[in-house]
Amino acid sequence: MADSLSPQCTPLKNEYDSCFNVWFEEYLEPALATNATQKQRTAHYQRKADEFQAKCGKVYAEYQNCIQNAVKERGIEPLLQQAREEHPLREPLPPAAPPSKDSK
Amino acid sequence: MKFFSQSYSYDDPWSIVTLAFFLRYPNPYASHVLSCDVVSRSVTPTGSLMTTRLILKRGAMPRWFPKGIVSRAETWVVEETEVDPVGRVVRCKTQNLDHVKVMQVEETVVFRSTPEGKTLQLTEARIGSGFGWGLTRRIETHGLNKFKANLQRSREGVSLVVQLLRQSRLQPMTLGGPEHASVSLALPAQPTVEHHTSTGTDEAHTAIPRPQNSWSRLKSWLRPPPRAD
Repeated sequence: MADSLSPQCTPLKNEYDSCFNVWFEEYLEPALATNATQKQRTAHYQRKADEFQAKCGKVYAEYQNCIQNAVKERGIEPLLQQAREEHPLREPLPPAAPPSKDSK
Repeated sequence: MKFFSQSYSYDDPWSIVTLAFFLRYPNPYASHVLSCDVVSRSVTPTGSLMTTRLILKRGAMPRWFPKGIVSRAETWVVEETEVDPVGRVVRCKTQNLDHVKVMQVEETVVFRSTPEGKTLQLTEARIGSGFGWGLTRRIETHGLNKFKANLQRSREGVSLVVQLLRQSRLQPMTLGGPEHASVSLALPAQPTVEHHTSTGTDEAHTAIPRPQNSWSRLKSWLRPPPRAD
């Protein structure tokens, strides 16, 4: 666990990371049969989300409270917002660029 | 603008590579990572985990770069990740937030589970500079070369964490199942983890070893207890 950008938030971050990582390891395991219906999947992951909230929700909220203040204080917030708006993760990937394919 | 793409295959299953990818800081190959924070995280209705992390990385300007333009060789990087546990895919997009006029690096990494139970990583990058002064191409070429070298190191870091995870999962099995195994026996120098101590004083002494998962064991390996002095 790397440190937080703000030393004050590091203890909360460590506590949150520990909680998250335990949850995340379970979350990644294939929990459903391959022929599970969409409805079963939705229900399963809704349960996982609720479980996360129940186990780690409180420390997550505290950590976020701390880190959001630290981000504002350091003036990173506008940059962060801008980057997320201009380059959202969920958009079709640009067509694969043919030049300089270094290796395969 | 420079483009780069490379694929790489891990012999390990997707779930372990994905876990390692999330746990990769700190590792000995990533000493340039100064801090890493989750600034947003949620589970979508379809079950995907969306995470935004804000990372501070230390860099170094090349010797030929004009002095006095970049005051500190540190960069804020934002990393957005989607973990789709149904499709067994991770998509991750990373870009730097500052010094973008000098150089902007946009990296996309995809981890996909293969039918053979392995993991395929596809990395794509776009590196652009708007610096001018006749240095644009030189900066871009330098950025590309650095990117390639760093990619190698970053994979070594992930591989190291994968190895540790693999070992930590194997060990409790030899002790008779992960549930009640006294894992500390099998581990080198397992430290006592203070914040796991319960509030009841009696309980703390008589408690049976807690079931631990790979993560809690790995943690003690990656972050040895602080020295006594």
